[in-house]
Amino acid sequence: MEVKNIVDINTIKTNMRAKSKEEAIQELAEVLLENEYIKDIEEFKKDIYAREAVGQTGIGNYIAIPHGKSNSVEKIGVAIGITQEEIAWETLDGKGVKGIILFAVGNDDGAQSHLKLLSLFARKLGNDEVIEKMLQSKNAEDVKEALCS
Amino acid sequence: MKIVGVAACTVGIAHTYIAQEKLENAGKKAGHEIHIETQGTIGTENELTQQQIAEADIVILATDVKIAGRERFDGKRIIQVTTEIAVKSPNKLIEKAAEVVSQKN
Repeated sequence: MEVKNIVDINTIKTNMRAKSKEEAIQELAEVLLENEYIKDIEEFKKDIYAREAVGQTGIGNYIAIPHGKSNSVEKIGVAIGITQEEIAWETLDGKGVKGIILFAVGNDDGAQSHLKLLSLFARKLGNDEVIEKMLQSKNAEDVKEALCS
Repeated sequence: MKIVGVAACTVGIAHTYIAQEKLENAGKKAGHEIHIETQGTIGTENELTQQQIAEADIVILATDVKIAGRERFDGKRIIQVTTEIAVKSPNKLIEKAAEVVSQKN
């Protein structure tokens, strides 16, 4: 099992319509719903916003990582959105964001191998070169390539 | 310089590992030996050995929650920060660690 097993080409959007944080979370949550990662969009968003209330999920370098554990999650995964314009977000470096990674994680601990993959994936987001390459991606394949190479 | 540390965030799926990656990269870039243990949803990983802790010049705890085994670092120089600080300014944190160690000597 490798990181590429958790990055689903169907849940990557490089043509995000969202102009705000709320729209971005909604748009990516819809992608997770369509691809059966979550079953209830409102419940899922409630849990995501619960984490947002605790602290900044904008980690700098134009990246935000909204995440939280939710009973609405059917399978562990991530939705990735790239925007052309910066979106306002609470971030550690005060800049906006252009790459949003929405994590879908359930409350049960029965999926250790997938959680392990998710942790390896999260590490990638701590790597400046990976992020730079990801933000320049024009399509979902490029995003996956940037994160999994 | 030899650095050990622990990263642990509230949810345990994202900041913990991003902090680990950033600290390890910043430490290696500055020419230090660095090992960061993670305590997340999947439990403890990259667990520090007694020898690594014994040999470490300094301990960096990038934690937002109570961690398991903090007593392992009793008597060591410890820098305690949040995961946000480690994610935001890893290079500065490593510089700070070097500063603290050089003051000790």
